[in-house]
Amino acid sequence: MEGLRNDGRRWNELRRIHCQLSTSSTNADGSSYIEQGFTKVLCNVTGPAEPSSRQKVKQDSATVSCEVYFAAFSGTDRIKRGRNDKKVQELQTAIQKTFSSIILTHLFSRSEITISIHILSQDGGTLAACINATTLALIDAGIPLKDYVCACTAGQSTSIFDNEGASPDPWLDVNYLEESDIPSLTVATVGDSEKIVALTMENKVRIERLEAMIAVGISGCAKVRGIMDKEVRRHGKQKLEAQGE
Amino acid sequence: MPIQIIAPAPFVTADDEEEDEGGVRLDLDNDGDIAMEGDMPSHRRTGREAGGIVTPGEIVTQDPQWMRGHGTYLSQPSFLTGGHQSIVSSLAGTISKTNKLLSIRALKFRYVPEIGDLVVGRILEVQTKRWRVDIAAPHSATLLLSSINLPGGILRKRTSTDELQIRTFFSEGDLLVAEVQTLSNDGQASLHTRSLKYGKLRNGVFMTIDAGMVRRMKSHVLTMNTSNGGGEVDIYLGVNGYIYIAKHTTPLTESGGPEGKSVSITRLEEEASEAIYSNVNEEISPETRAEIARIACVIGALAKNGVKVDEEMVHLGYEAALEEFLQGMEWGGDGEAGKRVVEAALAKRREG
Repeated sequence: MEGLRNDGRRWNELRRIHCQLSTSSTNADGSSYIEQGFTKVLCNVTGPAEPSSRQKVKQDSATVSCEVYFAAFSGTDRIKRGRNDKKVQELQTAIQKTFSSIILTHLFSRSEITISIHILSQDGGTLAACINATTLALIDAGIPLKDYVCACTAGQSTSIFDNEGASPDPWLDVNYLEESDIPSLTVATVGDSEKIVALTMENKVRIERLEAMIAVGISGCAKVRGIMDKEVRRHGKQKLEAQGE
Repeated sequence: MPIQIIAPAPFVTADDEEEDEGGVRLDLDNDGDIAMEGDMPSHRRTGREAGGIVTPGEIVTQDPQWMRGHGTYLSQPSFLTGGHQSIVSSLAGTISKTNKLLSIRALKFRYVPEIGDLVVGRILEVQTKRWRVDIAAPHSATLLLSSINLPGGILRKRTSTDELQIRTFFSEGDLLVAEVQTLSNDGQASLHTRSLKYGKLRNGVFMTIDAGMVRRMKSHVLTMNTSNGGGEVDIYLGVNGYIYIAKHTTPLTESGGPEGKSVSITRLEEEASEAIYSNVNEEISPETRAEIARIACVIGALAKNGVKVDEEMVHLGYEAALEEFLQGMEWGGDGEAGKRVVEAALAKRREG
């Protein structure tokens, strides 16, 4: 089993990604479901709609708000996370900030776009899955975006798999075990460009290793974009065929 | 050194087809302009080959002769595009071009009001001289007290008594059918109900579908003759995707006038009485209720299966549902039966 991680992947291998659009039939304008390995996330988008409160009204652009709900059964331990939970708030802020800059909000003055995310199962890369799910749901809702936002995680292991490299390889798309074991970061990029819109890291890592981790993460994002794009096209084609009848 | 990323191992399901890329190809190169060969970065070109759909971030054209329409934006000139500004898609949808204007039509979108649209709405808030109405648009619409039919005739002046009694006309949660009269700069609609066709809705059920699934027609109020003793049923197909299906009421039955005859102003005075703002349902027979439910299920199934709802499809779908001999209530949530009905309706349409 030389050169394989504990779930049988190589250092630069993504987990299986399965995504779907228009999963919820009512209430939401756009919805999506994504599985990245055993991380499962459901996302609903409503809007642009009348803001729910006066404070959210912006005269010249749309407000983006985000709600994240962790299912109590989603992790290894049964934990109920309330609205004021630190982790929930952190995720909400990260997603809200990321998408405020990507949605063409200036087209919808005095309205609100609400992103609501349900995390059904966590197995590492929760934020990445949330961002990917949100991108798909926004596309489904027909909300103008500059480009896809795709996220991916990368970790820094201590083992050397690649014979040529002298330094340990970064691991792409870490799962829960790896995430709790080694330092890892989440990176989100805009489309094919290597522009980073979100980058978070909760551990310490040697500065020399950081660049390689980010580089691997960015390359992973590009691959994720391809997978998501394929699903969007498949879904669109199916929809056009139904209407064309 | 470029990093090579290994794609995840494929997961094959039973209904997983191998993608055949030979689908509909949008033929935009009639005048040879928009064919995007040449200096395009190779990864940006994939879309046009995969069935006529553009996705966010895809460069539509770099030709400066095209104007940018809805669903697109101008990218910053960069070395990737050779220093040219290019028109980039911001939606997933199909390209439509009007003369030299390029726009993208999204596959699914929220309703955007236009003047003259017939909409079904729900009152959100009562203010001193107006109502705020939810019409599924980015902004709620307003309905002014002066743009409704006041009891006692169309030409009556609005008085302060009317303002005080504003809740007797419409209160929160009431459903109404109205027409978009004006639009403000930011697209907020102002409605009117100054016609006997419009006004408060009762005696029926409300349902919603995606706004894009209602085909724009000459008339959005259909009256259908139902079988099984259901009598006549009115269907208000709001352009905004809100639909109301109600027992047919003839506005002139009580005063004895023939149906469909144009209404004189004096007659209107009698008609536009308090009765039109009644909140009490009439007696509806179980047969009518069943047929209303059946129609609601047919419309829901059509929209769910991606078939645009119009007069013809509602009629064909209803016939198909009758032939399937299913009670409306029973297959409301049943995807398979709905699909069968829609397919039968489509087959009927093909037969002509």
